[in-house]
Amino acid sequence: MNKGEREALAGLLPFEVEPRLPNGRHRVLKEFVMSEIRRSAGRPRRRPLRPALLAPALALGVAVAVGVPALLGGGTPAYAVSKNADGTLTITINQAKDPEPLEATLRGMGVNAVVDYIPVGKRCSPQPRSTSFLSRQEAQHPADGRPFLIWPPDEPEFRIDPAAVKPGQTAVLEFSVSADEKTAGIWANISNGPVAPCTLVDSDEAPLGPPPGWDG
Amino acid sequence: MSLRARIRDGDAEAFEALFEEMARPVFSHALRLTGNWSAAEDVLSLTFLEAWRLRDRLDADGGSLRPWVLGIATNVARNLRRAARRYDDALARMPRGHPVPDFTDELIDRIHAAEWLAAIQEAFGSLRRQEQEVFALCVWSELDHAEAAQALGVAVGTVRSRLSRARKKLEKLAAERQRASVRRQVKGDHDSVVRSVREENP
Repeated sequence: MNKGEREALAGLLPFEVEPRLPNGRHRVLKEFVMSEIRRSAGRPRRRPLRPALLAPALALGVAVAVGVPALLGGGTPAYAVSKNADGTLTITINQAKDPEPLEATLRGMGVNAVVDYIPVGKRCSPQPRSTSFLSRQEAQHPADGRPFLIWPPDEPEFRIDPAAVKPGQTAVLEFSVSADEKTAGIWANISNGPVAPCTLVDSDEAPLGPPPGWDG
Repeated sequence: MSLRARIRDGDAEAFEALFEEMARPVFSHALRLTGNWSAAEDVLSLTFLEAWRLRDRLDADGGSLRPWVLGIATNVARNLRRAARRYDDALARMPRGHPVPDFTDELIDRIHAAEWLAAIQEAFGSLRRQEQEVFALCVWSELDHAEAAQALGVAVGTVRSRLSRARKKLEKLAAERQRASVRRQVKGDHDSVVRSVREENP
């Protein structure tokens, strides 16, 4: 097909902007796909991210940093938690740097939760961090009430239901964080028993949650 | 050894290079076919999982991998549920959702893309699925007829005839739209004349 023919056809359904996958999602989805195929290849490899892979994320970080003072300098807090009329909580994360204050705020509001921020190229060790997580089915479709993490998130907010965490249980929230300290992904579950603290280790696997097969 | 041969031999580094090269074209293609951002992300991930699974069907010799990858993406978009079932376990691990900072160009891109999707959906949606696929591959993803035929696993003549049907339908639609807009304009002028007459005679 020649150029003129293609242009004539394109003119019948014109669009001005090429729909593009944002850089952050490109990286997250690549990490996901590569960790899956390395798993299937049966030869998992641990290696630090190469500079070539980090470059796009860093470039994004630089571009975004220009806007940060305007946003955070205006007195915007790193995070905010607000109560909704239906008993759910809305968490807004503007800067994913230190998870402890958010964790303390949630505990102060009666939610027994563990919060971790996972930077690029890291994951928590050990995984799974509990031997008694709810299964995917139990977590996403509880027999009573709403799931702990209400899907889909209403970007850039996340809504959780404290009522999903029963006495004796601990909620776990893991956020993957881009180089610009923005959250890029979320994983949540509820543990019936103790939850191991997250020690960040180098990883080229999917950054969030337990390895495959954890819930059978 | 070529990228193609390395991927066929299960070289993950070569596959990563393919992802870098093809992720954006695959995402764009998927978004055009599905009209849905999150479905397009699923298609993107599943396309590369499928490409890895099917890598040993590649010929060691051959040109660009673009038709092969876009062909897989077309199949995945067409049978998203079936593909999702195959990778149910993997999809459960796929990191979902992402807050888009409101001060980046990305959001602007997204808004434009959403407006565009809504605007063209009606016209594109009037084509049959096979015509949509050929149009998306040949016109938007810029494959030539032979590459599109390779991507879809059909004869070159089939690509030509589907594209020609798509063109006729879209041209007819464009002509109808134009006639409708002329009618609206005439009617609009008439209304304004009537209104001004009433205003003068309360």
